[in-house]
Amino acid sequence: MTAASETKAQAQAPEAKGAAVSPMEKEGKRLGNLMALPAQLLLVFIVVFPLLMQVYVSTTWWSPLDGDPWYMAYLSWNWFDNYAYLFEDPRLWSSIWRTFLIVIVCVPAQFFIGMGLAILFMDRFPGKTIFYTILLTPMMVVPAVVGYMFYIMFQQTGPINDLIAGLTGLDAEINWLNDINLAMVAVMIAEIWQWTPLMFLILLAGLSGVPEDQMRAARLLGANAWQRFWRIALPKMKTVIIIALVIRTVECLKVFDTIFIMTKGGPGVQTESISLFLYKATFQDLEWSYVASIGLFILVSLSVLAGFGIWYMSRQPKEPEAGRG
Amino acid sequence: MAEIRLEGLTKRFGKHVLAVNSLDLLIPDKEFVALLGPSGCGKTTTMNMIAGIEQPTGGKILFDGADVVRQAPEKRGVGFVFQNYAIFNHLSVYENLAFGPKVQGWKAAEVDRKVKEMAELMRLTDRLDWPSAKLSVNELQKLAIGRSAIVEPTIFLLDEPLSNLDAAFREFMRTELKRIQHQLKQTMVYVTHDQIEAMSLADRIAVMDLGNLQQYGTPAEIYNKPANTFVANFMGSPPMNLLDCRLFSEDGAMLLELGDAGRLTLKDPALLQAAQAAKRPEVILGVRPEAVSVVDHTDEEGLDMVVDLLEPIGPRTIIHLRQGSAEMLAVEDKRFSSSHAARVTALLPQAECHLFDAESGWVLGRSPESAVGREAA
Repeated sequence: MTAASETKAQAQAPEAKGAAVSPMEKEGKRLGNLMALPAQLLLVFIVVFPLLMQVYVSTTWWSPLDGDPWYMAYLSWNWFDNYAYLFEDPRLWSSIWRTFLIVIVCVPAQFFIGMGLAILFMDRFPGKTIFYTILLTPMMVVPAVVGYMFYIMFQQTGPINDLIAGLTGLDAEINWLNDINLAMVAVMIAEIWQWTPLMFLILLAGLSGVPEDQMRAARLLGANAWQRFWRIALPKMKTVIIIALVIRTVECLKVFDTIFIMTKGGPGVQTESISLFLYKATFQDLEWSYVASIGLFILVSLSVLAGFGIWYMSRQPKEPEAGRG
Repeated sequence: MAEIRLEGLTKRFGKHVLAVNSLDLLIPDKEFVALLGPSGCGKTTTMNMIAGIEQPTGGKILFDGADVVRQAPEKRGVGFVFQNYAIFNHLSVYENLAFGPKVQGWKAAEVDRKVKEMAELMRLTDRLDWPSAKLSVNELQKLAIGRSAIVEPTIFLLDEPLSNLDAAFREFMRTELKRIQHQLKQTMVYVTHDQIEAMSLADRIAVMDLGNLQQYGTPAEIYNKPANTFVANFMGSPPMNLLDCRLFSEDGAMLLELGDAGRLTLKDPALLQAAQAAKRPEVILGVRPEAVSVVDHTDEEGLDMVVDLLEPIGPRTIIHLRQGSAEMLAVEDKRFSSSHAARVTALLPQAECHLFDAESGWVLGRSPESAVGREAA
């Protein structure tokens, strides 16, 4: 039996079963549903209840300062005013664009550096294991600690300025974290430093999974190193690359700890990411209903984006009908 | 024109593993040479060194007289068919065939023409648009050969290309390979552990064991004049009978004592010459089972044996004979009839018998150099 006909047979098997369900299978199904019920109820409590509560609160002006409990929020009912305001809030939108900027700069930087390192680590060289361990250390450090490390490093009298002074011979006294442009650069450097290792690790795994024989075959057909990478290794790593990019993009959109320690979003709001903005709106401004509407807005937008992404990735090239010899 | 000459080719892995030991081999232009031997004999390592995938520890690899040891694999002009085919399974059949020409920078029209031509030759034309992952094993096989052949390598290396196929298709593919070789007219080196494949395909066979060349010659030479007991035992199915015996002379005649089975007076001049070359009386007598004839009664000098077992295998019957510690096989046609435990006489035609040194296993009467076929190498 060929593999194709096997798959066909497997595909047909459940259909054949479905045509005549035995009483025992019915019983089993009912029991299964019953036993899953507690878990499902718990899920309703954890996911559905907070979600509904958030929807409810987001349609009011309710704030903890009002002195009313949350279920009395209807007293300041405002329909969709929060949502209308959300679209006009310059601080929110600038924090959104800023977060996207961080993603657009950091994720590709992490990808290219990680890929370069992964290619380097496919070869043997002395001290490889030691370098490997050192290279993986940053991602194991707590993000808040990374923030603190870079906070110290980017001080006006910190080691980064010393390094620049040493290299250029100039008197470098750059005030990194208080400069409206350089603060963002410093934050991005910290982010890239911490998360390149993860990208490297995933890409190295992907690269090791490329069949060696195919790389050799390509080489014997006359392909140079770049052609072998571009035409054989890269297409075979497609899934791994997508996974790595998605993980890092999602994580990077949530960036908080490092920035919070390094700049608190400052100077002004120059390094304020979405998470940081929401944090401030919640704990400094106490605009809970507004935060609820932003949360829902982001949830819906990201769901649409993710849905589109999944649809795009799961597109398969059309394959001919199986008819194997 | 592509002649491959290996001179003292050696490969060590670490300190203790000697994979290939000072191999000398001449593979003439446009010949089909099989590297034959059991697993771990160094045949694949030898081929990898020819391709440049593996760097030799010592020795030279000459293509038409030019040493290529320091040359990168992609510059050697070698086509390589891997045991598992190494098809680029993310590409279509067309793209697989076009891979070599494209990376070598051919013009698009030329690539297209050549791909279609090669698909025609490999009978893959109706599969060109298919993703290669959908092909059957036999089509993958042909695609692997076509993909290597399309860039017109002067040397073609095949690493056990038939070992993944089932028996019936393997036979078909053997003839197909022969046809392809005739059409491509290239020097081909073929690694296999299957002696039938080697015998039926190759112009010459290099038999290897434990990193050493055991014998190099045409299939007929290898089969009829084995250089040592290893080759004698490795080639042929059933393998050559190897009987321990003692040489002695009596009344000016040379005789062979075969234990309980009796004795033979040596008459054949070649065999006598071999016997005279023996340094010690303990020798091994080799004779192919098909050369042995089994008769009930005869006046001729033969060995007294008892039928131990009969194996009818269609056109032939394999007869297991035994007498004391002496055991041998004979092959007769299917009309042979005898019963278990019957007393028979085994007649050994002396012209087809060989004597080997009992200690070294090398054939007597020929120098090891000439026995291995080094004059050809």
